[in-house]
Amino acid sequence: MSMGGEPPPADGANIEGESPQAEPTLETDEATITDDAELERTLGLSGGLAIGIGTMIGAGIFVFPGLAAGRAGPAAAASFAIGAVVALLVALPASELATAMPKSGGGYYFISRGLGTLAGAVVGLSLWFGLVFATAFYLVGFGYYAVDTLAELGIAVGEGLVIPIALLFGAGFTILNVTGTENAAKLQNGIVALLLSILVAFLGYGGLDAVGLIGDPATPEQFAPFGPVPVLTTAALVFTSYLGFAQVATVAGEMKDPGRNLPLAMVGSVLVVGVFYVVTIFVATSAFGSEQLSQFGETAMVEVGRHYLGAAGAFAIVFGGLLATMSSANASVLSTSRAIYAVSRDALLPKRASRINLRYGTPHVALGLAGGPILVLTATGEVELLAEVASFLHLIMYGLICVALIALRRNEPDWYDPDFRVPGYPVVPVLGAICSFALIGFMQPASQIVGVAIMLMTAGWYAYYARDVNLKGEL
Amino acid sequence: MTRVLVPLAILEGESASPGLTTLLEPVDVTVLGYHVLPEQTPPDQARAQYEDRAVDALEDLTSTFRVGGGHADHRLVFTHDREQSFDRIAAETAADAYAIPGTSGQVDRLLVALTGDVAVDRICSFVGDLIGAREIGVTLFLATDDEEGGRDLLEAAATTLSAREVDVETELVVDAPPFEALLEAAAVHDAIVVGERAPSLRSFLLGEEAERIAVESVAPVLVVRDIERDGASELE
Repeated sequence: MSMGGEPPPADGANIEGESPQAEPTLETDEATITDDAELERTLGLSGGLAIGIGTMIGAGIFVFPGLAAGRAGPAAAASFAIGAVVALLVALPASELATAMPKSGGGYYFISRGLGTLAGAVVGLSLWFGLVFATAFYLVGFGYYAVDTLAELGIAVGEGLVIPIALLFGAGFTILNVTGTENAAKLQNGIVALLLSILVAFLGYGGLDAVGLIGDPATPEQFAPFGPVPVLTTAALVFTSYLGFAQVATVAGEMKDPGRNLPLAMVGSVLVVGVFYVVTIFVATSAFGSEQLSQFGETAMVEVGRHYLGAAGAFAIVFGGLLATMSSANASVLSTSRAIYAVSRDALLPKRASRINLRYGTPHVALGLAGGPILVLTATGEVELLAEVASFLHLIMYGLICVALIALRRNEPDWYDPDFRVPGYPVVPVLGAICSFALIGFMQPASQIVGVAIMLMTAGWYAYYARDVNLKGEL
Repeated sequence: MTRVLVPLAILEGESASPGLTTLLEPVDVTVLGYHVLPEQTPPDQARAQYEDRAVDALEDLTSTFRVGGGHADHRLVFTHDREQSFDRIAAETAADAYAIPGTSGQVDRLLVALTGDVAVDRICSFVGDLIGAREIGVTLFLATDDEEGGRDLLEAAATTLSAREVDVETELVVDAPPFEALLEAAAVHDAIVVGERAPSLRSFLLGEEAERIAVESVAPVLVVRDIERDGASELE
């Protein structure tokens, strides 16, 4: 039987005989109340925005401009804008579902409750891998910035050290997350605020310069020198820059006043980073031709900084890039461990995966299941492949979030009572689903093959391990 | 009815000393078992693992508060932010004061500091309810730069408590460092009552005053809540 405000309890058992945790809870704005305990909601709107923006901004501004301009020319700005529109089309339905089910696990939770266990298992386990790919991508980006920082300081070590540095810090983040009990959330908020100030100052100056108000007018270049298709394939590549808003939903269970803060944090962070991305590309392509930007590679923005503000500009960007890629990687490690917890709570993975370390009070098994694969993928150093596979796996989830919303709305169960309802239903979720799946079609074949292989693996795992788990319940 | 919130880090084995349990006999008690988690750990994940153990420990503890016939219940919370959980549950239970457990044997004499931002009437009325008809003496303490005003305040408070047949002494400290003077007075008392203070730069840097008193004196500290301030902040 269903109860108001809460999906029916999950039931069934996996191959080891473990059942999903099914205890009725009451959600208030300040806490989740179970039979015997209360779970405090401690994240405010600024905390939610910091997770969203902090996860996203590293990739879009500090890693992609060179790569994207090389593929699409100045029209890379349009690629980022397309990404922002797709992200918004998904962020709105995701917000509605998150306010109806403010539980940790985010997209996985909505899909498993709206579409059933198979879809849930594929998405939940794919999200784990998607986050692992994304984190590896951020770490490689961090490695490039670390090498450039050393170069700015006059220590030329060459690109051979990018991967070793990325691996070292990847292992470091994992260990810190297991042993560190300091509250790093405030630090994360501070880093995001500092980053945004650096970017506002830099882009403000660069923007004025680029439109010719100060300095020399920029060299005009054809907007889309390679035609419209590269604009779309580039949009598929850079979509990794928009993955962070869904990470906000993974901490939905810890957000204060979720009915208000979840939609604001998800939609707000997409809007903020979207504007920053488009302006960044405009400023970057005004400074250099797209061919030259492409040659600068992952750290092209450092040269853009140097172009406008000399050594100080280069240093500000290098410093910002280090902070941004670090905060993206760290936020993603945390999200990965929460994604693993969400599936293990529902018996799709062994319960052992969500054990908490007695000494540090941290989920060491889940953090290890995040950190290990991250290091393996980081070692490949394949920036574009890592980014696209991460986007692929997330886009599957995004598309299914929209489908889950439509499924729930078409036959609204009693418990379904979201505080926020998508404007423009059904157009927004239908477009969101179509765009999410369509974007996958513009990826490189290698990324598509890896993505599909991972999904098949997760479906196989479901069939072997958790066929008898029932998450959708009787609606 | 007067209610005191007793927050205890339940899974770290924190418990109430016999002196505190006896002191709180006449009033209602809510034992707040809490467990603070690092941000890496979702509260729900910790609950799954620790709830049973925590509930067992809490039920045992709560029953010790019922021995004297008083009413006692308990709440269990998993949180990233201790203060936020304390404030929420104190407001929900309409607690008049919260306890910082400390250790103490039998309480013969209470030190009541008339500092902080809480009205003296509220502190006196709480102390009167707490002592009831028991043989527990009270030392009213005030540190101030205004000798005359301070004496008047102490006199008025002493009269209020004497009217409830409480054995009252007063201690006025003028032109001395207030915190150090309070600690000195605390050394010869078994438990301390203070008024809540609004957060300040000083409390932000050094920690809350009540917490520091508790750490320095080792005795239980009862902090009378500033209901007016809570009411005001809820309106914002």
